[in-house]
Amino acid sequence: MNSFGTLLSGELQRMKKYNILTVSFLVALIWIGVLYFVDIEDITSVVPLLVFIDATSMSMLMVGATMFYEKQEGTIKTLLVSPISKSEYILAKAFANITSNIITIILIYGYAKIFKEINLNFFGLLGSVILIAFFHSLVGFIFTYNTKDFTEMLMGMMKYIFIFAIPVLLEQMGLIKNKTIDKILYIIPTKSSSILLKSTAGGLESWKIWFSLIYLVIASILLFFIVWKKFDDFAIKESGE
Amino acid sequence: MYQINDLNFKYPKNKEATIKGISFEIKDGEIFGLLGPSGVGKSTTQKILTKQLGKYDGEILYKGKDLKSYDKSFYEEVGVGFEMPVHFSKLTAKENINFFKKLYKSNIDTDNLLKRVGLYEDKDKRVGEYSKGMKVRLNFVRAMLNNPKILFLDEPTNGLDPYNARIVKEIIREFKEDGGTVLLTTHLMNDVDELCDRVAFMADGKIAEIDSPKSLKLKYGERKVDVEYRDGEDVKKESFDLDSLKTNEAFMNIIKSKDILTIHSKEMTLDDIFIKVTGVNTDE
Repeated sequence: MNSFGTLLSGELQRMKKYNILTVSFLVALIWIGVLYFVDIEDITSVVPLLVFIDATSMSMLMVGATMFYEKQEGTIKTLLVSPISKSEYILAKAFANITSNIITIILIYGYAKIFKEINLNFFGLLGSVILIAFFHSLVGFIFTYNTKDFTEMLMGMMKYIFIFAIPVLLEQMGLIKNKTIDKILYIIPTKSSSILLKSTAGGLESWKIWFSLIYLVIASILLFFIVWKKFDDFAIKESGE
Repeated sequence: MYQINDLNFKYPKNKEATIKGISFEIKDGEIFGLLGPSGVGKSTTQKILTKQLGKYDGEILYKGKDLKSYDKSFYEEVGVGFEMPVHFSKLTAKENINFFKKLYKSNIDTDNLLKRVGLYEDKDKRVGEYSKGMKVRLNFVRAMLNNPKILFLDEPTNGLDPYNARIVKEIIREFKEDGGTVLLTTHLMNDVDELCDRVAFMADGKIAEIDSPKSLKLKYGERKVDVEYRDGEDVKKESFDLDSLKTNEAFMNIIKSKDILTIHSKEMTLDDIFIKVTGVNTDE
């Protein structure tokens, strides 16, 4: 197995042992509970909303949780003197997160398919979640680099949710109807994330889908480069400057 | 193995350089001690040599090639033993070791090493349940598991009981006998005396002294012999020049006619040299 494979399986093993996957599973059960109590049979429009919250916030949270465990236990120090590249380290964490997000959407989609009515393109949903979770895992890296402890990271994450995620959610739920605000929201990555998820139900103009897809791909590449570049400063700090 | 020429390093946030133009060599197959009080640049030097810090001035050659030219494969032949625990506490020792082993192309028989350091019976316990000494020994196993050519060890016996400390030192000696090179950082001068072929004392980012422990003791010690003997009811003590001992009649008379209580050459200990060279106590 190459280093990326070893790091990825190690991440998943630790996410299980440190109960991070359990938390992710419990959150998925909460989403299923929400779907259960929604008093409509066709939940096609509700699922993208829940997946949006999960893929954005849980990705940031899980990167923070695993990295702060590594900081606390000093294991990051020994990883930094192992034959692994920083790209492998970053990608392994991001893909471990994506795996957890995929499990969540399988659970949600499976429940919806069996007990409710849903009319979404599953593979479109899967692809969107991979891209959104990847981008937000990288956002999680930025928060972890710039915060001293997990609580401070959570505060940063909450600010991100308030500024970037809640306005998009309100707009998607029809609570914000102003067209200017709607256009302004295209600047932020969460709007593109929301459009991609919504598009899996069909009925959206194709330029919106293409815009969101290209936006998130380019933003992910740029953010990956920043995370990769800033990793050296993080490594110096963690090796005990 | 390493050739360090005029190495300078300053942390971005610091005003003053941590490493100030040091030059030294670590020879193939030797145990080299890097000693000095806290904050003089030992750890920084070690981090630079293990490529954890890259933005330095000066030249570092590893096996004759610029250290900066090595990629991640450099770590295939390097083992780093940390002083503080560096394991996933909710994983067992075996799970930790298996994870790290998979990152390397070459591995040693870790079961055998775990047996030698007395951890084999506890290999299926979570590391979080380990005592401090067990974690130190597991750190040592972690450093050795990739069958390294060079070992960087930071206080490898700190927190170990004398029995386990002896085992770790025995393994370090065997590693050297098999051709391995070691850079040892420790405050325990007894370990330095037992293990190191050469030592460098660091003070204020510079190398204050570098030589073999024996040469340093000779250099800093007085060439005198103190003899303590019984003279009637009294206990007397006299000091003699070591170089003219065989022709010193007074010394010979005492040896022949008195009951000798103690006889010592005035050799300096490494602790004494540490204090003299660096200006601080080894406990600092």
